[in-house]
Parts: sequence; C-alpha cells; structure tokens
Amino acid sequence: MNPFRFSTQPLDTAALQREMRDVTCGGFAAFEGWVRNHNEGLEVTRLEYETFAELAEKEGARIVEEARAKFGVTRAACVHRVGSLALSDVAVWVGVSAAHRDEAFRACRYIIDEVKHRVPIWKKEHYVNGDSGWVNCERCAMPAAHTHEHEHEHEHHDEHTPLRTPDYSRQIALREVGAEGQARLRGASVLVVGAGGLGVPVLQYLAGAGVGRLSIVDADRLEPSNLHRQTWYALADCGREKSALAAERVRALNPEVRVDAHALRLDTGNADRLAAGHDLILDCSDNFTTKFLLNDLALRTRKPVLFASVYQYEGQLQVVRGDDATACLRCVWPEATRDGLVGNCAEAGVLGPVPGVFGSLQALEALKMLLRLPGLHPGEMLIFDLVSLNTQRLRARRAPDCEAHRRSGQPVATSAAGDLEVQFGSLAEAHAAGFIFVDVRDSRERADEPLQWPAMNLPMSKLLTEAATLDADLRYLLVCATGKRSAAAASLLRSQGFSECRSLRGGIKGLKAIA
Amino acid sequence: MSERTIRVQYYALLREQAGRSDETLTTGARDARELYAELSQRYPFTLPAEMLRVAINAEFGEWSQPLKAGDAVVFIPPVAGG
Repeated sequence: MNPFRFSTQPLDTAALQREMRDVTCGGFAAFEGWVRNHNEGLEVTRLEYETFAELAEKEGARIVEEARAKFGVTRAACVHRVGSLALSDVAVWVGVSAAHRDEAFRACRYIIDEVKHRVPIWKKEHYVNGDSGWVNCERCAMPAAHTHEHEHEHEHHDEHTPLRTPDYSRQIALREVGAEGQARLRGASVLVVGAGGLGVPVLQYLAGAGVGRLSIVDADRLEPSNLHRQTWYALADCGREKSALAAERVRALNPEVRVDAHALRLDTGNADRLAAGHDLILDCSDNFTTKFLLNDLALRTRKPVLFASVYQYEGQLQVVRGDDATACLRCVWPEATRDGLVGNCAEAGVLGPVPGVFGSLQALEALKMLLRLPGLHPGEMLIFDLVSLNTQRLRARRAPDCEAHRRSGQPVATSAAGDLEVQFGSLAEAHAAGFIFVDVRDSRERADEPLQWPAMNLPMSKLLTEAATLDADLRYLLVCATGKRSAAAASLLRSQGFSECRSLRGGIKGLKAIA
Repeated sequence: MSERTIRVQYYALLREQAGRSDETLTTGARDARELYAELSQRYPFTLPAEMLRVAINAEFGEWSQPLKAGDAVVFIPPVAGG
C-alpha cells in the first residue's frame, strides 16, 4: 500500500486500520480530521478539496517515511480525501502501528502536522449564505490566493504561529522543476562569497527558491553608500556585519534554509574549509584577489564557480567548472590583472540596478545548474552592456599555457605580497632606507591630505602609460591611502620589470596608526 | 595595404574612454593588435593591450589573429565590481 495517497471516495477507516495490523505491534494510534460546520462565525455546508497530486503524493510519502525512520514505527499510512465532502466526513486519516504506544502517538502527530504544513492541498468552503471561497487551509504557510474577504480562524492553525515554509508551487508548476527539481534544490548547498550588490539578489532568489543550505562570506559592515544597490538592507542596519544581516534576511524569507554567516575575508588559509560541503560557489565579490582565489579553488576541488562582476552600466558572467578541458578565469585574463587598475564600484561608480541585474542572472544560472538545465557553457563569458542593451556570449578556450591549470592539484602558493609590501613607522624612516616615494593617489586625495615628503605623483589611471618615466634600478616605495592600490600598482610594475619597487603596507593610514 | 570594414565594440573603461559602445570602421590594421594601436591614437585609452582581451566573432582570440572584412571585434577589460 502506498504510504500516502488521495481518495475520491469516502474513507473506510476500519479497512485502513486492518492494514496497520502486525503481530510485532503492541500499539496503534490513529488521527481523523473531520469536516466541521463552522469557520469564524460562518456556517459551512460542505467542502471541496483539490490537490496537486503528483507533487503532493511524493511529499506525503516522504513525510510518512520520515516518521517511520524518526520514531522507528512498524507501519504508517496517511490517506487524504479530495473532491466534494459533506459535514462530518473524514477528510484525512493517519494510522500508525508500533511495538509501543509512545512511538505510535508521536509518529501519528508528526505525520498530520507535517502533512498540513508541507503537502499542497486547497479547500473550498461553501457557506450557508451561498458564498464560497478557496481556503489554503492545509498549507497555512501560504496566504490564500483567492478572492474571499473573510478572515478564517482555523482550529488547526494558530495564525500567530510563525510559518515554517514558503510555498514553492509556482516554480514546481514548471515542467523543468517539478517535485524532483524542488527536491534537488532542497538538497543543494551553495557558498555565496560577498553579500553586497551581487550577493543580495543572489541570496534572495536562492533562499526564495528553497536551496537547502546557504553559506555567506563577507568581511564588511554595511555602509550608507551600499544602500542604493543593496536594497535588502535598511539604513538603520549601517555598521552591522553584512554576513549576519544577510543571514537574518534569509531566515526571515525562508526559515527552511540552513544558513551560515562568516564575517571574514576569503583567503588561501580558509578557502578550502569554507568551501567544503558545498556543491556550487557563487563569486559575488568585488575584487580580483578573491576571484582568482576562487578560480584556483575551482581547479583544485573541481567545484564549479559562477563569477559575476559589474562596472558602471555593464557586467560579465562566467562559469568555471574547474576541470582540465574548459577555460578558467586565468585562461581568459592576463597574469597582470590586478585590483585597482580598472576601477571598482567606489572609484568608477555604479547604478543600483546593474548589480541587481547581474546578481539576478547569477541566481538564475545557479538554479539552472542545480536543476541541470542548459545555460552558460563552462568557460563562456556573457557580457551585457545595460546602456546599449548589447549582449555578447564569448567562447573562451582552455589556454594551453594556463598557470592556474598547471598549478591545480598543488597546494596554493602563499601570496607573493610578502616582500612586495614593507612597513615603516614614518616616511623619514623609509627615506633613510633609500626609498623614493611614488604617490599613486589622485589629485583630489593629494590635495586633501598632502604626503609631507617629496614624492613623484603617478595616479593609478596614469600608472601604465607613464611607467616609462621610472627607472628600473631605483628603489621606489608606492604609497596610497590604505596600501591596497599601491600594492596592486607595485605588483603590476614588477611584472613590467621594476623589480625593486615596493608598496607601503597600510598606506598613509598605517603611518598615522603607528604614530 | 587593403582596407577592411570591421565592427568594433568597447566595454567598461574602454567604452568610457572611447565615448561610445560600438562603431563600424574601415581600417588597414592587419590584426587586433594593430587595430588597438590605431584606436589608441584616436581615443585616450590608458590600458595597454596586455591588460585586455580581444574577442573576434564571439570567440576570445589572439592579438595576432588576422582580421577579415566583416569581423566583429570586441575589446574587453577585466572588471571586478560587485
């Protein structure tokens, strides 16, 4: 007998009970749900039940199986009526037999509670006054999608009880999703690196879709300048850790999702630990360091990484499968690619919906990957210019000389930034060590906070075109506000043959901190 | 040297510096590197070719790849905003 089924005929409870008999069982517990004659002052004359049978049967069978496994009972079954029912008819029957009564009671209770929450069944009530209305009563999780205005108080549902699960019926209705696809999403674990402009829509849609587990990595705290594009958050949240905020929002949207928040920056020391146990990684970060780290991780662990990046009014989307045959980020981008050279959201500006569009595309591609639907090919890059609305899908080939592919399988080399950066207590100290200063800040920054020591001015935007004015044999110390841009600049200059240049660790801010 | 008509698209910083998303132009450039050098005379591009990728007819290509009449050439800098 199918452990969960629907019946269009009145239930023969005596026959159902006989099916539960077993000589090893010392107890039998049953629950019957009946059609009642009233609902919040309205007299009910009869009821109709409808269901989405294919999904409902699978979910129901899963619940009965869960109860058997959880409580160790011998037999368990649940039958639900569909069609037209009269008052006092049995609408649902649950029966459990077990060696001892305790398990039987508990399993019975579990089954009816879970069925009411998880199985999609709709009820149409007919009232004495001739009205009728669809009441989504069994699935209390979803507000009734119908037209009647009465507020129904259901005895089986205290409306102040927090709802435990959203209703996925609108996506399950898609032929390509179905109950099987929903189960796949429920079983999936996704690591989301970055909870900003891209991460917000990604997390919203993945949580909404019912992806079983989401882990969020973000070291930043919310700033007022984030809000125009990170509209999930509130002004009052500024100063709080984004990872924790995002986790809170995910839980509020869908309490079914298991969510972990990590308030830290992804690095070579923690990347493997954070990625462990996840099926898919989404790069929603805003820097190349993280992107290349995730690229290496994909190659090392064969976990697919879906990358997205935006710039002003456009963006790029790319999937790296991590195998030897398809292109990775390093097959596409030159070794010289560094942060600080082509601008980020802070420097170049960005219109709020741009990361919204790309984060949504990223969520869409992620769901398609989990549902095994066609999408972006491994290595392929989607470029979308939201001004001209031009889209391009560019195929990339695995580069035969790709360093990252060559390294894959090897432990990650620690960053070469060790000797690239040097720390000094003051510029005088650095000068005494024989360094010539190169200020890579822009003219406005220089005016706001002069360096207090003679320096060459070479803003990032001119670094590449004017590098020829530098002398490869001299010891240059590159300086910026925090040490981030200067490190990128130093690293780039080194790749151009300026082997003696270094970056001031911590930048001007660092000097002040030491002073 | 024969002139060819080529469609060019610019992205990110290049779009900003060129002041346009795309254009169709006639050039004597034999390959993508020459084309970029030619365009660098016309527009204030700050990124050297080494920092970019070029795609020809929807496929990432080499800078030395010969250009044919009617080719669609895309210059793309890496972007990292999020």
